Amino acid sequence: MIVPMEHLLVLATLLFVLGFSCVLVRRNLILILIGVEIMINAVGLVFIGAAALWQQVDGQIMVLLLMAITAAEVAIALALVVHLHQRKQSIDVGLFDEMRG
Amino acid sequence: MLATDFSILSLLLWLPVAGALVCLVTGSRAPSVPRWIALVTAVLVLVGALLLMLVHDRSGGWMLLEDRTWIEAFGIRYTLGLDGISLLLIVLTAFMQVMAVLVSWRQDKAPQVFFALLLVLETAVIGVLLALDLILFYLFWELMLIPMFFLIGIWGYERRFYAAVKFFLFTLVGSLCLLLAVIGLYLLHGAQTGVYTFALEALKQTELSAGQELLFFLCFMAAFAVKVPLFPFHSWLPDAHAEGPPAGSVDLAGLLLKTGVYGMIRFAFPLFPAAAQKFLPVLAVLALVGLFYAAWVAFSQLDIKRIVAYSSISHLGFVILGLAAWNQIAVEGSLLLMVNHAITTGGMFAAIAMIQLRTGTRDLNQLGGLWKSQPNLAAFFLLFSMASLGLPGLANFAGEILILIGVFSVKPLWALFAVGGILMSAVYTLRMVQGTLWGASCEPFDRRDLDAREWGILIPLALLVVLLGCYPQPLLDVLREPVSALLLTGGQP
Amino acid sequence: MATLLVLILLLPLAGGVVNACFGNRLPRPVPVFIATGSVIGSFLACVGSVTAAAGDGYRLTLFTWLQSGNFTADVGLLFDPLAAVMALMVTGVASLIHLYAAGYMEEDPDQTRFFALLNLFVFAMLTIVLADNLLLLFLGWEGVGFCSYGLIGFWYSKKENADAGRKAFIVTRIGDLFFAAALLWLFALFGTIGIEVINGRAGELAGTTTVTLLALLLLLGACGKSAQLPLMTWLPDAMAGPTPVSALIHAATMVTAGVYLLCRLFPLVSLSPLAMAAIALVGVATALYAATCALAQHEIKRVLAYSTMSQVGYMFLAVGLGSVSAAMFHLITHAFFKALLFMTAGCLINLAGHENDIRRMGGMRQRSQAVFWLFSAGLVCLAGAPLTSGFFSKDLILATAFAKGDLFHQGLYGLGVLTAALTSFYCFRLAYLVFGGDFRGEELPHAPHALMLWPLLPLAVLGLGAGLLNLPHLLGGHSWLSGWLAREEDILHLSLDTEYLLVATAVGVFVLGWLAAHLRYRRFREHEPRGLRQFLLQGWNFDALFARVLVRPFRAAGRFCSHGIETGVIEGLLAGCAATCVSWGQRLRTLADGRVNHYLYGLLWGMLLIVGWFLLRAVVS
Repeated sequence: MIVPMEHLLVLATLLFVLGFSCVLVRRNLILILIGVEIMINAVGLVFIGAAALWQQVDGQIMVLLLMAITAAEVAIALALVVHLHQRKQSIDVGLFDEMRG
Repeated sequence: MLATDFSILSLLLWLPVAGALVCLVTGSRAPSVPRWIALVTAVLVLVGALLLMLVHDRSGGWMLLEDRTWIEAFGIRYTLGLDGISLLLIVLTAFMQVMAVLVSWRQDKAPQVFFALLLVLETAVIGVLLALDLILFYLFWELMLIPMFFLIGIWGYERRFYAAVKFFLFTLVGSLCLLLAVIGLYLLHGAQTGVYTFALEALKQTELSAGQELLFFLCFMAAFAVKVPLFPFHSWLPDAHAEGPPAGSVDLAGLLLKTGVYGMIRFAFPLFPAAAQKFLPVLAVLALVGLFYAAWVAFSQLDIKRIVAYSSISHLGFVILGLAAWNQIAVEGSLLLMVNHAITTGGMFAAIAMIQLRTGTRDLNQLGGLWKSQPNLAAFFLLFSMASLGLPGLANFAGEILILIGVFSVKPLWALFAVGGILMSAVYTLRMVQGTLWGASCEPFDRRDLDAREWGILIPLALLVVLLGCYPQPLLDVLREPVSALLLTGGQP
Repeated sequence: MATLLVLILLLPLAGGVVNACFGNRLPRPVPVFIATGSVIGSFLACVGSVTAAAGDGYRLTLFTWLQSGNFTADVGLLFDPLAAVMALMVTGVASLIHLYAAGYMEEDPDQTRFFALLNLFVFAMLTIVLADNLLLLFLGWEGVGFCSYGLIGFWYSKKENADAGRKAFIVTRIGDLFFAAALLWLFALFGTIGIEVINGRAGELAGTTTVTLLALLLLLGACGKSAQLPLMTWLPDAMAGPTPVSALIHAATMVTAGVYLLCRLFPLVSLSPLAMAAIALVGVATALYAATCALAQHEIKRVLAYSTMSQVGYMFLAVGLGSVSAAMFHLITHAFFKALLFMTAGCLINLAGHENDIRRMGGMRQRSQAVFWLFSAGLVCLAGAPLTSGFFSKDLILATAFAKGDLFHQGLYGLGVLTAALTSFYCFRLAYLVFGGDFRGEELPHAPHALMLWPLLPLAVLGLGAGLLNLPHLLGGHSWLSGWLAREEDILHLSLDTEYLLVATAVGVFVLGWLAAHLRYRRFREHEPRGLRQFLLQGWNFDALFARVLVRPFRAAGRFCSHGIETGVIEGLLAGCAATCVSWGQRLRTLADGRVNHYLYGLLWGMLLIVGWFLLRAVVS
């Protein structure tokens, strides 16, 4: 491996934490979705690194699957966002608390 | 034993579900079709059950057995078996189901779902009566719950949701105990023999310490006692009856309550004979207390459906007392009384539904003088009431006297107390008859007497009430060998 | 013979079932024909088969009713001399009463129900009479209870009638419980419920406490049906039913079923001297009690009801004295003259314009001579006028008591004679109030149907002449009934002096009662029922006592169970559990506020906790 595994893990962790913080802090739905994407990509990065480290193809397969799922997820999520925006003219998550117990 | 490749039992078991599916498919277009499908299916099952009754042999073993692998990884098999006891109860189930369909003939709120649920309930009950694999049994046991929950919760009266949830929670808690015990027994048996199986016959051989046996037995009994229902686990029944639709009441009284007693004699007693023998006196005391207590409560009710519900508890106390005596006469009497009680009470609920249809009330204070406006309906109501209070020559008496005789030979004192229970049943039943049939007329808004369909419901029930009272011997003949076989496996006191 | 015997039972059953099921669809008089015809047919079958009963009797098993383990109950008949006499009486009297009822109920819109129940009653009563085992007898026993319930409350739209029916059913059922207990015990002892086997093997129990207890249980069972102390309160109220019902059920047949039961199981019952004494005591106490109550009653049918109770008490006394034939003799003569009395009372009530109260009657002789003579015939029998059947049968019982000789039985004799005097008194009180003076009511007479008079004639003849059945040797008779029942030991062999003394006493008390009534009631005087009179009118206030001691606690227990335990404790506990769950749920739901980021904070903290826990473990180890 050209890049040491440790570096890769640190980068992935940083990305994950950044994504997670984004999800936690932001109230804009689109930005939250971006945060989720970043987190998924962080995970994908670890898969790639692991595949390279152990010379196994499984990790790459997982990433391909992940990309496909992400694409689908984004499509649905954005459709939902559009729907929600139509309902309340806003994409502030604070407004969507109908599931409150 | 008749071993055939052609699986009669499975056919009988799944026929109602097939009917239910057809109901669902066709019903959305033509609302009057589902009831015909339900009726045809129920009649087919009844005919099948009666045919089995005709050809069965009376040797006491399994008349039909069906055994297939199902989930091999856990040793779960699809085992169905039929003996005299289950046959009798299946015939009863099929018969009461026909009555239940007829009683709810005019159901116009989502009829396809209603009748589908009724049919699924029938499959579940037949499954309970046939299953010889504990997991299979448990599945059917739980399956009984779901249709009944919806039947009460959707098609019931004002407080239907309360009643449905109460019914569901009570029985669910009981069955969870059952599930735990089944898994525990499975693991213990597996550890002892290395064979992991849920088969009833194999599990009977499990060696248990006295403590374990008692624990498992109590867990099993928790499920069955709630279903019976045994005092003090009975409080779901009056609500379920009072709030449930007429067909629900007929099915509850006719089918569901019987499964509790059946579970005791098929599973709890044979699996844990030593614990059962130790527990019999407790059972008898609970039964006796329930017998009197329910009668007293029935005496103070105003809703006639509740009175009948409490009378059910009281009668089932009698049944359990017979089991607790654990000898041939008493157990045969118990099973006979169970059948007779189903028919009598089913008739009562059917008649009450018709009364409510005409007067719009079930309140004793508002009813009265029904004989004047509807003499035929009133006569049937009187007949069922008399059967229920144990008039000799009508159905219930035959079972009650056998129980009393059987109990007297073991514990005379119990029997003497139980004799007092007969008086109690007279007191509350006559109070109900008094308030409904006699006295000043309550002027029902619908003064029509019975129509053809209602005659069709009440006549078979009434005929059976008389027939089983005067000549119950065919049923006793069916029961004799299975019961003596049961008494051998269930241990001796 | 078997066919005839089956017909005795089957005809009334068939009549009842046909009328119950199809009666309302048949044209008007047909149900009456069916009902009356079937009972008359049953009577004829009875007459035809009576020869078979002679000596050892005739047995017939039809089918097995219940069989389980070592328990067997057949539907089987035992037609022995005792059963034959009883069956003849029941079917004969019932036939006449059915004829009478055809007239009495002619205008009732609901007559099919009446006749169906009446036929079913006859069937149930005959089942009691003919059953060869106790369970079948119990079927009849409860069956007559049900029919009686339905018939007392026949005019159900008045609540009091229906209540009276219920009271009769429940009070008699209390007695039935004791009978049922005896049945269970007998089966446990002998392994069978066949009457003959039990009687045959009863000797094994001689001298034990068991047999005393069994006999006492049977006595209590008999007390319920026969309205003896302490289960007698239902009979006066039962007069709410139509008059034919009172005549058939509450005078001639059902109330004597208790006596019949004790006679049927006499070999068993007689083994316990204590129980026999108890039977005699119950009998004489009831006889006296009811006679005192009859003194003060206002309603004609209630007077007769109390007199029935009193006469049945005599029969119990006879059984307790060990004389089956005396009991059966009195049972039969009483059935004749009491049925006659009730049915004539029905005519009188009609004639008085549906007035029950004897204070509103008087001068009834002017309204109908025939009824006067018929009623008088019944009254002299009841009062024990010399040479009537009531005189002989009552005298036989009293003489039997006297002949026993010891102090206890002398006492019984004394009480019996006192009761006889009271009986004579209230009979003539009734006669003077009903027939003496002028009519005191306002209603116009409602002439009785011809069918209500003709059937009474045979009854009057039988009532006056049935004494011939068991005429003692002294008067040139042959004690035929005792011979037929094979109870030669019941025939008294008293010295001529004693016999004359007893007869003289009997005649004396009859005349004494008449004289007293003549002096007191020759002229009608209205009295407010107060003090002792009120006490007697209310039947010694037993109703109030039972209401206080039994009914109220029972109701209270019912309320306690349903409101205290059921809704209070059990529902309360359930509601408590549910409320606890709900309150925890309420608290926890605040955590789910619908904000995604809040949930994610939860996730984060949870993760941190888990990671922290593992780090801590790693550090510690």
